[in-house]
Amino acid sequence: MKEELQLKLQAYLDGELPDGEARDVADLIARDTGAAALVTELKNTRGALKAFESEIKLPESREFFWSKIEREIGRVDKPQTVDSSPAWLSAFLRRFLAPAGAVAALVIAVLLITQQTPGLVVASESETAFPGADTFTYRDYAAGMTLVWLSYPAENGFADFAPDDTLN
Amino acid sequence: MSDKAHSSADDSSLVRAAQNGDMVAFEELVARHRDKIYARAYSMMRNEEEAIDLSQEAWVKAWQRLKQFQGESSFATWMTRITINLCLDQLRRHKRQRADSIEAMDEESGGVERHMPVVIINPTEGLERGELRQRIDQALSQLSYAHRTVIVLHEFEEMEYKEIAKTMGCSIGTVMSRLFYARRKMAALLSDLKKPE
Repeated sequence: MKEELQLKLQAYLDGELPDGEARDVADLIARDTGAAALVTELKNTRGALKAFESEIKLPESREFFWSKIEREIGRVDKPQTVDSSPAWLSAFLRRFLAPAGAVAALVIAVLLITQQTPGLVVASESETAFPGADTFTYRDYAAGMTLVWLSYPAENGFADFAPDDTLN
Repeated sequence: MSDKAHSSADDSSLVRAAQNGDMVAFEELVARHRDKIYARAYSMMRNEEEAIDLSQEAWVKAWQRLKQFQGESSFATWMTRITINLCLDQLRRHKRQRADSIEAMDEESGGVERHMPVVIINPTEGLERGELRQRIDQALSQLSYAHRTVIVLHEFEEMEYKEIAKTMGCSIGTVMSRLFYARRKMAALLSDLKKPE
């Protein structure tokens, strides 16, 4: 049997043929046992499948399944928090201001110590090194100048450290 | 709407309530149709875990798109279409992950089914319901995804050839041949399964 005829028999079974053509195929089935057998086979398979699907049940309880959907809806429906500062600004703050803030604190500390200790004999110049922070401070009292040398990028990861409660 | 009212309300009332943000109404819709949606996903994927995930994803998508549902079809039909599309996307992803083209293999394998002898006796006749289900399940698992999908859309979803072609993105001729080969293969598999071992 040619493929074209086989597909036509199937289309007849599925009600996809126009009326005139369907009548011709019905006549053919009535006189051709091969065609009739094929239509019966297709019909049997269709019938078996129809009965099958209603048996499939979701293997999760109503409450559990719903709780997952509800949680997911809550997640996707959540309004996105809009960060008012652009990303480049946040990166800049994290990268440069954190170490700069630490350096400023060191300078203030040095100034406070030298000013609040009247009896302290100070040299005209002083150098302070902070090995933990890779920072070196040079102060020339006569010239009223303070230089802070900051090793950057910090080899100890100091500059990359951004605690949760500060700039995030 | 109270809980009692939800359980006695029809689908369209629940959909209207859910469209206005009533989650309890939506939950009632999920409870009513969850088995059908899961069954559709399972029929296409043949994997319990994947079918659960996809049916869950379908419900979340439905909630997000609920305002777009205008009631041209029933809610169950609309939901099923969402599920089918998700399953087809997933199957396409699976296909892309494989080295060989399943499509090409499907078309080539068609010739074998075309020349198989006709199964004259109904292979499922006289079987217990549970046994029948098991055999069909087994036979469906042995079909390629393209053949199985066309069976699911035609036999379970009762789609016409034209609609299946649109859904699967192929020609009506391809749908007809895939359906034919799928049915013939199912008949042969069911008949083989019936033979005493």
